[in-house]
Amino acid sequence: MADQDKSNGQKRWVGQRVPRKEEGRLLRGQGKFIDDIKLREMLYLAFVRSPYAHARVVNVNTSAAEALPGVAAVLTGREVESLTSPFIEIGPDQCQKIADYPMAGSKARFQGEPVAAVVAESPRLAEDAAELVQVDYDPLPAVTDAEQAEKNESILHENAGTNVVWRGVFEYGDVEKAFREAASVVEIDRLHFHRFSSTPLEPNVIIAQWDNKDGRLYYWCNNSFPSFAIQFLAPHLRIHIDQIRVQTFDIGGSFGIKITNYTQMAVCALASRKCGGRPVKWVETRTEHMLSSAHGNERTFLNTRVALDKNGVITAIDSRHIDDCGAYPRYEPLGCVIWSQVFPGVYRFRNAKIDFTQVVTNKCPVGPNRGYSRMQHLWFLERICDICAHELKIPADEMRLRNYIRPEEMPYTTPNGCVYDSGNYPKMLEVGKKLIGWDEWKRKQAEARKDGRLIGIGIGTTLDSGTNNFGQSQIINPYAPFSGNSQGANVKLDIYGEIVVAVGSCPQGQGHETTAAQIVADLLNVTPDLITVRTGFDTERNVHTGFSGTYASQFAVSGLSAVHGAAQKLKKEMLRLAAFTLNAKEDELELGIGAQGPEVRVRGTERSIPYGGLANIVNVNSAVMPEELHEITLNCRYIWRAPFKVPDKAKKYGNLTLTYASQLHIAVLEVDRDTYVPRILDYVAVDDCGTVINPPIVEGQVYGATAHGIGAALMEGCFYDEVGNMLTSTFSDYTPITSVNMPNVKFGDIQTPSPHSFNGAKGMGEGGAAPIHTLSAALQDALFDKGIIIDDSFNNGDRVYHLMQQAGKGKKPARVKPRAVPA
Amino acid sequence: MAIKFGGEFEVKRSPEEVYDFLTTPQKFGPLLPDFQGMSVQDPTHFTVKVNVGVSYIKGAAEVKMVLAEAERPRRAKYTGQGSVPGGGANIVAGFDLAGANGGTKVTWSGEAQVLGRLASIAGGLLEPLGKKNVQKLIDALQAALTAGGNVAAAPAQVPPPDGSASMAS
Repeated sequence: MADQDKSNGQKRWVGQRVPRKEEGRLLRGQGKFIDDIKLREMLYLAFVRSPYAHARVVNVNTSAAEALPGVAAVLTGREVESLTSPFIEIGPDQCQKIADYPMAGSKARFQGEPVAAVVAESPRLAEDAAELVQVDYDPLPAVTDAEQAEKNESILHENAGTNVVWRGVFEYGDVEKAFREAASVVEIDRLHFHRFSSTPLEPNVIIAQWDNKDGRLYYWCNNSFPSFAIQFLAPHLRIHIDQIRVQTFDIGGSFGIKITNYTQMAVCALASRKCGGRPVKWVETRTEHMLSSAHGNERTFLNTRVALDKNGVITAIDSRHIDDCGAYPRYEPLGCVIWSQVFPGVYRFRNAKIDFTQVVTNKCPVGPNRGYSRMQHLWFLERICDICAHELKIPADEMRLRNYIRPEEMPYTTPNGCVYDSGNYPKMLEVGKKLIGWDEWKRKQAEARKDGRLIGIGIGTTLDSGTNNFGQSQIINPYAPFSGNSQGANVKLDIYGEIVVAVGSCPQGQGHETTAAQIVADLLNVTPDLITVRTGFDTERNVHTGFSGTYASQFAVSGLSAVHGAAQKLKKEMLRLAAFTLNAKEDELELGIGAQGPEVRVRGTERSIPYGGLANIVNVNSAVMPEELHEITLNCRYIWRAPFKVPDKAKKYGNLTLTYASQLHIAVLEVDRDTYVPRILDYVAVDDCGTVINPPIVEGQVYGATAHGIGAALMEGCFYDEVGNMLTSTFSDYTPITSVNMPNVKFGDIQTPSPHSFNGAKGMGEGGAAPIHTLSAALQDALFDKGIIIDDSFNNGDRVYHLMQQAGKGKKPARVKPRAVPA
Repeated sequence: MAIKFGGEFEVKRSPEEVYDFLTTPQKFGPLLPDFQGMSVQDPTHFTVKVNVGVSYIKGAAEVKMVLAEAERPRRAKYTGQGSVPGGGANIVAGFDLAGANGGTKVTWSGEAQVLGRLASIAGGLLEPLGKKNVQKLIDALQAALTAGGNVAAAPAQVPPPDGSASMAS
């Protein structure tokens, strides 16, 4: 299983296909999920939700519900407003005037927004009682379109006085000069990235107990960024942050969406307090999840101009973007800047101007959905590259090669100051083309086209930026109190010598137990199965920082750097103590497995002490220790901090992310000429996440991200009608991707180690939504000859049918304007 | 989701008689499809209980009706707000009356705005279903006016045990 390190004979576990430590537990149904937890005297909560997207709440009559035997309490939005302070807003100015509470008091702003909560002895009783709550609404005009919202004709948050959450211009280089000197300019009127979600298997689940014995608030929940959640909750609930204890266990998927369930955490806490401190559980239904948890951002790209030189190299981009964050900003408007982590994508252009606006609409608030904020921008860039290639009749692969950042330019500083650590995009393209059989497919495509078949081949190149610099929040709001990034871990030798690792992450399938064990096994020269890794967040373990959680493709860098740092500290202490007990010098010692298990020994002798012996001295036999060794605890905490600086707020310039994993996908797709349904004929995913710690874990995440991306591109969308009814609030309507819809994905990888992490690894997992870019490109290739421009990220059979019907009618949505080539 | 409807019919009653019928909640209310019962708050406000059954959403809906416009004998307009768990509908229904052929020509129009789960689950079904139910209401109105308007004491319909005689029937 493990490689032999030639330098010292030590086995190396990093890079090996170590079976996941989590697997046995999870596959046998022995995972511990929140709904598995039953507490004595537990009550159950059900929400009463607004059927209106926008309405004044005139009256809430709870008397019938309260009269139902078994109902413990009913909470209304107005009551919550009187008991709490609005949640913190990250944005500046008008954002600060938005009063965000977890339930609607006087006004509901999206369909599904809670207006009351019923707490009862059983879940069914709570649901029945919720139906008895009578709410009178006064409907208001709903705004479901971002461009419409920008006009402020119907305002969601009167205090803010506008639907615009944030606006800023990101401009670098000399854009107008580049356009003056361009050989050709391509204009694209409108592109649209649709709204979808990631539909984790396990919906949001929360148990809260506001214990009146000690005044503390206990949470058992599946929030995936609890250190951030408690920063929102404490001021909202008007308590000290140390009063809150949060524990997470196994989480059945989050993909970022569960970061914003702190709003329901607040309601459960208030309900528990109202019920005398009895624990209150809330289990979200699927429809509730679809309707009101969090969706991914929807973005519209308007009036795009692309300047190109005579070789088809993009020299400048000018565009206006409007982002729709739903009814409340919550984690937003961070998404207004997070996309700029990948400002030029994988391309070399240096001149660009993006005028970025975010608005609220009467739709479900958004959350940091897998690929958050960056995938929309990367899709936009890929569409630009692809549309320009077709308009200028440059082959798609050639167009990429002419525009890619070159491997010899790495580390590459982008126009806005981000530093791409490593990468080799041309090599990925080469690997991808080989895997899919590019030339053969090109030949087959040409043959098939003679028969009128609509076959397209598309390339999508994307980035998965990981370990973000929270200082980018100051570009949005100069007074935001966040910058940098950090993660904590603890590694100890327990009393009998067990190695126990604790880390402040909340894994949801990313294999943190396994990869952390591999890192520590290499350092302490043991096998990973001898290491116990305590994952799941627990405020009382004291291994978290204000950034702890699982998000933004970073565990391999931030989490494992913290684990590595803590294990190094432990190793140092072990060697120091062993040197004393074995009467040797530290540089004479080595760690390894002896007859009685892990031990420290004097190299070339039989003198050794087992790990348990060292732990015995420190923990229960300390009288044998000399005073100069008293500082040794064998219980080592380490906080890793990313080497970031606060960005230049005025220039919107600085390094916003530490590592840049990259993905290149190629798809071959055919549009059925009878049903218009796009079908994938062949698919390749090439990944580069630097040094790979555990190949099957990386592959698993690539497959998962690919499935999500294919689902989003061809099947899944959160669609609303004109009055704000969500039309896809069940799986029957939303049609999430399942295994039967998945093509056979051919996986390939290259490794360009990161100079920014201790072991060359880059964070990965979000996947950069490569399939959405790739399938849009493949469809473009299939349909370009019909005069069709793929201008939306969602393309199911119905949409392709309408595209085909509209083809050739009206103004072409993208045009190339050749210019006189400057001398 | 908005469902628009409209049409006209003639009855052998004077505009005043038709107007009086339309604006009397006890007479007009029971004509609503799948009527179960009603309570009258005042001459312009009443609440009607009707059966609802679309897909797996089944149950009773309370529809709060308001006589929003009353211009004797030319026009009557109702607005209504109905709710079922997780959904509901806003209704506007107007009746314009004009003397014609010794009787009255009734021109009716309106819109139902369907909300919540009803719209998302049964979106495709709702338009034909809504139109069918509006037609039922108009047929019942026409029949009542032809019969002399003696429908105020009509007993509530009793749905079969499986609820199949509800809106979805």
